[in-house]
Amino acid sequence: MIEGGFETVKLKEIALTGARLAILSALVCGLVFPVVITGIAQIAMPYQANGQIVYVNGKPIGSAIIAQSFTSPLFFHPRNNSASGVDPDITLNSAYSQVSRINVSTHIPVASLKAIISSNVMWTYWIAGTPYVSVLKLNMVLMEKYPQIYSAFVS
Amino acid sequence: MIGLIQSVVLVSVLSAGLLLARMLAPYIANVYSYESRGRQDRLFLPIETAIYRLCGIKQDRVMEWKEYFTAMIVLNGLMALISFIVLIFQNSLPLDPQGFPGVRWDLALNTAMSISSNTNLQHYAGENTLSYLSQMVAIQFLQFTSAATGLAVAIAVIRGFAGKARGKQGLGNFYVDFVRSLTRILLPLSFVAALVFVYLGVPQSLNGYTPVTTIQGAQQLIKIGPVASLVSIMQLGTNGGGYYGANSAYPFQNPSQASDLLEMILMLLIPTAMPFVYGEMLGKKSRKEGISILVAAYALFMVDLAIALYPSTAIGPGMEVRFGGFAPVFWTVTTTAVTTGSVNAALSALNPLVIVSAFMGMLIQATPGGIGVGLVYMLMYVLITVFIVGLMSGRTPEYLGMKIGVRDIKLAVFGFLIHPFIVLVPTFMAYATRATSAIGLGTGSISFTEVLYEFTSAAANNGSDFLGSAANTVFFNVSTAIVMWTGRFVPIAVMLAIAGSMYSRDRGPTNGAGLKTDSLTFALVLFATILIVVVLTFFPFLALGPLLEFLRGHVNGF
Repeated sequence: MIEGGFETVKLKEIALTGARLAILSALVCGLVFPVVITGIAQIAMPYQANGQIVYVNGKPIGSAIIAQSFTSPLFFHPRNNSASGVDPDITLNSAYSQVSRINVSTHIPVASLKAIISSNVMWTYWIAGTPYVSVLKLNMVLMEKYPQIYSAFVS
Repeated sequence: MIGLIQSVVLVSVLSAGLLLARMLAPYIANVYSYESRGRQDRLFLPIETAIYRLCGIKQDRVMEWKEYFTAMIVLNGLMALISFIVLIFQNSLPLDPQGFPGVRWDLALNTAMSISSNTNLQHYAGENTLSYLSQMVAIQFLQFTSAATGLAVAIAVIRGFAGKARGKQGLGNFYVDFVRSLTRILLPLSFVAALVFVYLGVPQSLNGYTPVTTIQGAQQLIKIGPVASLVSIMQLGTNGGGYYGANSAYPFQNPSQASDLLEMILMLLIPTAMPFVYGEMLGKKSRKEGISILVAAYALFMVDLAIALYPSTAIGPGMEVRFGGFAPVFWTVTTTAVTTGSVNAALSALNPLVIVSAFMGMLIQATPGGIGVGLVYMLMYVLITVFIVGLMSGRTPEYLGMKIGVRDIKLAVFGFLIHPFIVLVPTFMAYATRATSAIGLGTGSISFTEVLYEFTSAAANNGSDFLGSAANTVFFNVSTAIVMWTGRFVPIAVMLAIAGSMYSRDRGPTNGAGLKTDSLTFALVLFATILIVVVLTFFPFLALGPLLEFLRGHVNGF
């Protein structure tokens, strides 16, 4: 072993500098940056920063953009095979295909159900593209418009 | 085939990316000019000087290529070690509100080497595995530093190609380039992007997951965390490692079409700016050298898009409704063209031709490629191209007025051949050791595609994969970790060695007989060379996998 040789000294220096720079970078990029962003986001945009929580009667029931499970025939159902597993939306066709089931189990007129769908349509490219609807949005509208039918779910 | 709206979206995203990249390029070039003493320096220099003092960095020290490389690899090794330790001990560290246990050694090793090599292959689902501290100090941290490393290396290589006439700084000082990449480019841009992402609906919180009782009375955890700050750098730094296992398909990581388009533009931004930066740093007379490279890179990107968009882009299973069917295809081609590797749909949902296109992006690695390294690969292809042109015309190959020697070509070809070696040998070994059957993979074309994709993605430092958590085995964790670091640092060493010898090489007027490298003709020759060289190398293997699937007519067949 070449003690104190030029290469050894240089490598030692590189390791020492590297260790200090590694720790400093970890603190700045890994702690300071996300914590500062969190601070600003929590103060300026708390609704988005906390996951767009939706409340019914003051109780948190889910997030506006994360699918929740609907299995009762009274509701619109989300799809199960999407990439994230929590896709909050369904295509317009999928929504219309559920109308007759909801009509049978709730006796809400088909025309009213279709009207609820069509007044809540969104498009993949804002004003164009593929039309779709949010499952939670539709179900919240149903609960609001027909509180007696959905009374079991509003507690 | 695509319609009018999709065409408008495609053209708008690419134009926006090109325009913003063009605007950003002079700023980037200026960041690394040690001579300039402008407004930029007044703002950033005091902060940087403090950093240099804290770390004992001698900012005026000029490094030859071996020292530049050593400083880079040692720093990256130490940073990966920090990440590894945080992952293993996350259960004993703060900010673990969900009480996740420490990460197993082989997964922690894979993850630390994956993020530090700018790959972001993920054999875990972040939201179910990692504490807040790990997401920040093991993942986000390395996403910043691997991007900064890529930028620094690209700049050092450019300085070598530009030569001593363009400055006395040699290849530069790695620490200065690394720190400036962070303070002047990555941190400010990510800061703005992160806040825009929060505005668009990406969470940013340290409050722990929110338990709710759903309308039907079920218990659900709303998995929020420091997501926006991670998404900004994972896209800007062409990392691709998501907060969630489903990556940018998960609504919290990519809530809307607006965030989707912004994420696309962010990942295109710096890789597209680099050829302009190259032209800028070569000097006024050589600006077009950057243009011809950019043209070749984008022409290859267009070929990839044409292949992927040939089949139907209707929405199917495995895709998110809010994006539609076209967005996942456009995203998949783009994310592999810049070797980011994030996804906004399940890969298995895509037509085999889209997968062929994704392979092309990962095999070429320069269309326009990952942050910094995309340009480095392009310069490697340029050397191979001028050599082939030289052979055909019977003259000594020249580039930028200097002679290209035997050593340059040997090194460049070695750098190129590393790639097939670390893709194909591990793929073979995975089958030979039955590591594949251990996780339920057969020998059919679907399984073969998934295994080949795994190692191609690892070698190209891309990061998307079919296997995901299924590959969380000792074999796949360790083998891909080795492949990722080899695929990252060997070509970098090769190109730094070439750049180091070029720096002081004599440059004369060109002999006038060769092909002018700043011409459209050269762009075309470069385009064709890359296509032929890469296709010849990998065609048999693509034919066994995704091409076979396409010919069998298997759509959504993976």
